[in-house]
Amino acid sequence: MPKQSMDQAWDMRGRGLKDSLRHDQRVKEAIKKNLRELIGEEAIITSDGTKRIKIPLRYLDQYRFKYGQPQQGIGQGQGQPGDVLGNTGQGNTSGDGQPGDQPGEHTYEAEVPLEDLVEMMLKDLALPWLEEKPMRHVIAEHLRFKDIRRKGAISRLAKKRTLLENLKRNAARGDAHVRDLHDDDLRFYTWDIEQELHSNAAVYMLMDVSGSMTTSKKYIAKSFFFWMVRFLQAKYKNVDTVFIAHDTEAHIVEEKDFFGLSQGGGTRCSSAYKLALDNIRTHHPKSAWNTYVFHFSDGDNLPNDNNICKNLAQELLEECQMLGYGEIKYRDDASFYGWVGQGASAMSSLQSYLNQIGNKRLIVVTITHKEELMQVLQKFLQPQTAVP
Amino acid sequence: MATTAEERFRDRMAEIEALAAAQGLDFFPINFETVPEDMMTEVASYGLPTRARHWSYGKVYGHQRLYGKMGLSKIYEIIINNDPSMAFLLDTNPEIANLLVTAHVYGHSDFFKNNLLFEPTDRNMINNATSHAIRIDGYIERYGLETVEHLMDIGFALDRHIDPHLGTQRAPYPERRIVEKEYTPRAYEDLFDKPKPSVQYVVEGEKIPPHPEYDLLWFLITYGKLEPWQKDVLSIQREESYYFFPQFMTKIMNEGWASYWHAELFHLWEHVSPEEQIEFARLHAGVVNPGARFSLNPYYLGFKIFHDIEKRWDEKRKLWLERDKKGEKQDGPMPITGREKIFEVRKTDDDISFINNYLTFDLVRDLELFSFAPKQQGKSKPVPDNTPIVITSRELEAVKQALVTPRYNYGVPRIAIRDMLQSGLYLEHIDRDTTFLDRAYATNTLNYIAELWKNPVSILTKDEQGNDCSLTAKPSS
Repeated sequence: MPKQSMDQAWDMRGRGLKDSLRHDQRVKEAIKKNLRELIGEEAIITSDGTKRIKIPLRYLDQYRFKYGQPQQGIGQGQGQPGDVLGNTGQGNTSGDGQPGDQPGEHTYEAEVPLEDLVEMMLKDLALPWLEEKPMRHVIAEHLRFKDIRRKGAISRLAKKRTLLENLKRNAARGDAHVRDLHDDDLRFYTWDIEQELHSNAAVYMLMDVSGSMTTSKKYIAKSFFFWMVRFLQAKYKNVDTVFIAHDTEAHIVEEKDFFGLSQGGGTRCSSAYKLALDNIRTHHPKSAWNTYVFHFSDGDNLPNDNNICKNLAQELLEECQMLGYGEIKYRDDASFYGWVGQGASAMSSLQSYLNQIGNKRLIVVTITHKEELMQVLQKFLQPQTAVP
Repeated sequence: MATTAEERFRDRMAEIEALAAAQGLDFFPINFETVPEDMMTEVASYGLPTRARHWSYGKVYGHQRLYGKMGLSKIYEIIINNDPSMAFLLDTNPEIANLLVTAHVYGHSDFFKNNLLFEPTDRNMINNATSHAIRIDGYIERYGLETVEHLMDIGFALDRHIDPHLGTQRAPYPERRIVEKEYTPRAYEDLFDKPKPSVQYVVEGEKIPPHPEYDLLWFLITYGKLEPWQKDVLSIQREESYYFFPQFMTKIMNEGWASYWHAELFHLWEHVSPEEQIEFARLHAGVVNPGARFSLNPYYLGFKIFHDIEKRWDEKRKLWLERDKKGEKQDGPMPITGREKIFEVRKTDDDISFINNYLTFDLVRDLELFSFAPKQQGKSKPVPDNTPIVITSRELEAVKQALVTPRYNYGVPRIAIRDMLQSGLYLEHIDRDTTFLDRAYATNTLNYIAELWKNPVSILTKDEQGNDCSLTAKPSS
């Protein structure tokens, strides 16, 4: 083997890394391009939040002519025809990818760290309004020597600065040299107590758990909540979460129970608002916390409750950064009074009452389909620029 | 001190080489390189020490680095089909492991040199792939990474559709021309009607392609309207695909052969300490372990079959010699020995004939082989997740078929170009009676071809009901 070819071969080493970075780049691009669909992807929402998430990416497949039906595989061991060995789609570990050894091909799954995903989504959503007047809460105090003054202890003489001042003074008189040091030239370092300011966020999730809230409707609420918390965690050091489930009464519950809950009975939203309000005043006062309150419901509130809700909502708005209300109304939901039909469903009475409050920090949206999740997020977080 | 250990190691390798030659192995000279893991991973991901860049290799490389395991043999071995061969040893392997790899690799080199399927392969591919890579790097610089990448995506989509009978070097089809053909009248023909002229003018080379064309890239390169650099990139991909084809066709045999020989050479080698023998036995067991329930280890299968062939032919021969001694009548001439037989097999067979001819009922039973598949509804619908996977058969024929089918036609559906017309390019899915094309993939691949062909492209296949149908793609602009 001629030596120079070996040298060349060695020079080209490192293309594995380059190409693997290029592949990661393509994965990111594929994700970004398809963010809208991926945002509701169950694999993400149901992940346990560990560092790397597997996202099925149908967009990075390498196309070629291939068989539609799965091939027969070869195995070894005990068993009779008809015995079940396992199930498809359970990530059976492959050998060295021999053709015909696997039960079937899987869609390529990209593994992406959760922070990267959040960052991509955040960029897309660009939450400017979170910057508005953030509340500060003092966490720590540090001493910083960054101020320079004319008076101070001689041990803290800022020599360079002193000479500079002397130079400036002499130059003003037409002679740019360091000469004749004067008291006026002296400069001293002094310290300031710098307060490291941290901001805290609290998220209140209010959800209607009356019988009509199906699992798929709760899934929308869950998806929304998943992303909301991640966004806030990217912006704030501490994020507190409070889950309030209600039908005619409201209770604070644990996250793990929240999405599984289902009660019967009617719906009285004010119970939730009242509980939230009391809790905020006690645990997340406005002086120290940025609180975001989100309420998801699907049905009509008890008619006589609407005014109470409206008033409570106004009070809530005094205590928090924003209040969001999401009404999950599928097109083919039958209303209590009969078949609503294909057209856009009527707004519930609660919505119309809330809409009477003219506060820009109150955002009301209607959700008709799981695919609208991205738009819902935008509406809640980018009211000015969201696509209606 | 390190040099002495290194020298000692090289000496031992030389002993193995001498042993291999003494046993009749006939191999290209091998250059061994001891390398760190990332280099090993790189060569394994790309298939060659240097190769043109593409993100798909990056996918494999990245995955390997994260998950570490390289193939089924946990002892890493890579040898390149080349003259001289190039082999890689992992620098973190203990010495005995690398000696096993050395013996194993001599088996491979003999296989590469002697198996007939490898005869037309480019034995200078290491250097050629390097120049390929340099050329493609040049195009990337000139035309941009994404442009070249996209073209290579198309090349990879099509590069398995080759025609090994016609090979890499081909001339274009005969030109369209008018040829004089002499017409010989039959007896008494002049008694009827007007006599035909004795010289006729016939058009030849009219139809393109004159026969179904299986080498899709060759056709696109030769008859498509592509820039020279595009033709070059596709030619490179095509050549490299042809180069790897024999390796695809002989994986089981090749690994079985090399495993047979690393075991045999170690068995014969005198300069191995008892501790090393034990360690070797352990490593060897790891290499030829049966594999998991879902995936058969080719090293194991090939190894077992070769031993079985040797055993059976030795028995046949023994019987013949016994009968000969007793003066009894024979069925035929004296059979060759088992050893001779396996040398013959390694020369003339590929995995398909190897399995078909030499996988026996007894082997299937002893190795407990079975075929399995998801319990599917329609034969064409993609199988949803959580479909049970069941054992379908333990019969010899079914097992053979399950082993052999994925190795037909480079593992891809049999597709040929039928016609090149004004209206577009017409392809045919030749084995549409027995196989079904994945629709989404087929459509996207047709789009790729249409993009290059700059005209509509259709393929004749069958729908889910079994009726002929056409899929078409038009170029996007």
